[in-house]
Amino acid sequence: MNIGEIGAIVIFFLGVYGMVVHRNIMKSILSLSVMDTAVILFFLAGGGSGSTAAPIGTEIAAGAADPIPQALMITAIVIGVAVTAVALTMLIYIHNKYGTSNWEKAGKMRERP
Amino acid sequence: MMPPLWTPVLLPVGFGILIYALPERLKRALSFVAAGAQLAACIRLFRQVCIAPVSLSLGGWNPPVGIMLYADRLAATMTLLTAFLFLVLLVFEADRLVSDKNFCMLFLILEGLLSGIFLLDDLFSIFILIEVSTLVASLLIMFRRDSRSMYDGLFYMVINIFAATFFLLGLAMLYKQTGTFSLQTLARILPDAENMKPLYLPYALILTAACLKAALMPLFSWLPKAHGTPSAPSVVSAVLSGLYVKNGIYLFIRCQSAFQAIDTSTFFLIAGAVTAIAGAVFAIAQSDIKLILSYHTVSQIGLIMVALNMGSETAAVGGMYHIVNHALFKTVLFLGAGVIIDEYGTRNMYDIHGVFRRMPLIAVSMVAAILGITGAPLFNGSISKYLIQHDVSDTLGGAALLLINVGTLVSFIKFSGMFFGNTRKKARVFAGRTAACLLLGSLCLALGVFGAPVVKILFGFNITIDPVGYLKKSLVFLLSAGSAWLIYRFAVRDRAFWKRVRKVDFGFNTSALSVVLFFAVLTGYLFLA
Repeated sequence: MNIGEIGAIVIFFLGVYGMVVHRNIMKSILSLSVMDTAVILFFLAGGGSGSTAAPIGTEIAAGAADPIPQALMITAIVIGVAVTAVALTMLIYIHNKYGTSNWEKAGKMRERP
Repeated sequence: MMPPLWTPVLLPVGFGILIYALPERLKRALSFVAAGAQLAACIRLFRQVCIAPVSLSLGGWNPPVGIMLYADRLAATMTLLTAFLFLVLLVFEADRLVSDKNFCMLFLILEGLLSGIFLLDDLFSIFILIEVSTLVASLLIMFRRDSRSMYDGLFYMVINIFAATFFLLGLAMLYKQTGTFSLQTLARILPDAENMKPLYLPYALILTAACLKAALMPLFSWLPKAHGTPSAPSVVSAVLSGLYVKNGIYLFIRCQSAFQAIDTSTFFLIAGAVTAIAGAVFAIAQSDIKLILSYHTVSQIGLIMVALNMGSETAAVGGMYHIVNHALFKTVLFLGAGVIIDEYGTRNMYDIHGVFRRMPLIAVSMVAAILGITGAPLFNGSISKYLIQHDVSDTLGGAALLLINVGTLVSFIKFSGMFFGNTRKKARVFAGRTAACLLLGSLCLALGVFGAPVVKILFGFNITIDPVGYLKKSLVFLLSAGSAWLIYRFAVRDRAFWKRVRKVDFGFNTSALSVVLFFAVLTGYLFLA
């Protein structure tokens, strides 16, 4: 394990901590983004370190970084953006309806007809 | 000629986008064309797969690097079931939602995504489709944009994406260890690996996400909210409960066969039994008909999990047959519940009386589904439950299965109270709705009467149903139905305990914590056991 991967796991569990502890919906969505970013870092750190050559062009140097994680992470970033956008839109709706962005309070308001 | 393997994935998605773009009057016809073409393609695919499994590498790259579509019997059965149910659901909604282009687009896209998850072999692509289908499903849950469903939809989405991120981290670790995402390749190379320890962590992360999708015991809190939310269209509840939740189980089956070298069957056997019993207890406590049905899904998922992890091939086939059966009867029940809610204007089962008189055909098909789900003789549930019990020899296992079935019976005896009673009114139900319910209801009977040949066609597995054993099981069913009625009469009605159970509700943070705990326990089990 290199330093990037260890850092990524620490950041991932920071995001998990945020999901478990915070009652604010906004902070839950932020924690999701933090976790997502941590996974991207983990993938890229596993693909190659700072000294490996970039896998670009037709003549790829021997020992170049693995291109697959990089290609996959572009997809993961796109999906992450879409998820965050939809979640934030829903949050705006909920805030307008209930006047709160707290999971507990919104859950209680939900019980009322 | 056989259509290419990507047809069931891209055809509905393409039609969905087309429907969104085209003028108003074309779209109703077009959505039926799309669903019909999809069903035809899936039937072709199924007939092909019966001869030999089909695979297709996309973009000319083969695994372990490229993405492959792979269809064996199980995948083809699941896509066929998906295509069939979506067509029936469109018929059910032909007079209302089908004329809404947003709904048609989302619904057809969801169909394509579900088929994609069943057909893909590449775990990373499965992750992408899971994320996108979670988005689409949450948009469908909150389709009527009323405040309750907004909360339920957001809850559903955030907790599912949370688990999917676990899945992605698991994939990152898996790729680092093995250099592939292909399930087939993994199944080939992993049995030769001398040290499985580095794979425990990725395995636990991936399985945590699969179990959340399947709503296993501590991870089920999102399911009643998402499936039972009051204002979600009943077809959406039916899809989520009948098909979408099966994605989790399907993923579980695939991962278990890829990671054969890691034996966790005892863990999931216990988790399944706990889920089945707890789901039934929660179902008994509810009085909202949609909530009863959604907790019921939790309980049946537990039963399927038990069947898959018993270590007997017959039971595993029974579990897979139960996946198909559950999709059929749960769809009828949710559709029927939707009609009842529209007609009576309430979801409280104590305020609903005389469904038999008011809408006899809907009531008959719902009763067929109830007989199926409780495992009454001649109906489809009895065949799958017979297969599940086939190899149980110890008394503890037998008693647990009996307990699960009695729990199911008690909750459905409570549920069927609403069929009786007098009412003069006759309801006018749109013909498409009645037809859809009747078709699925009669399938519940047909798949029971022709159980053995159907299992042979769907899973290629020869079963013999021993008449004496089946008769014995039928007697056991009658006895347990009787005792379930007694339990309902004397221990369930108007007891304060059940009211307290009804109030149990996991908040968001508790649900997130339960995901972390489940992951921790599974990891601990792997390293210590």
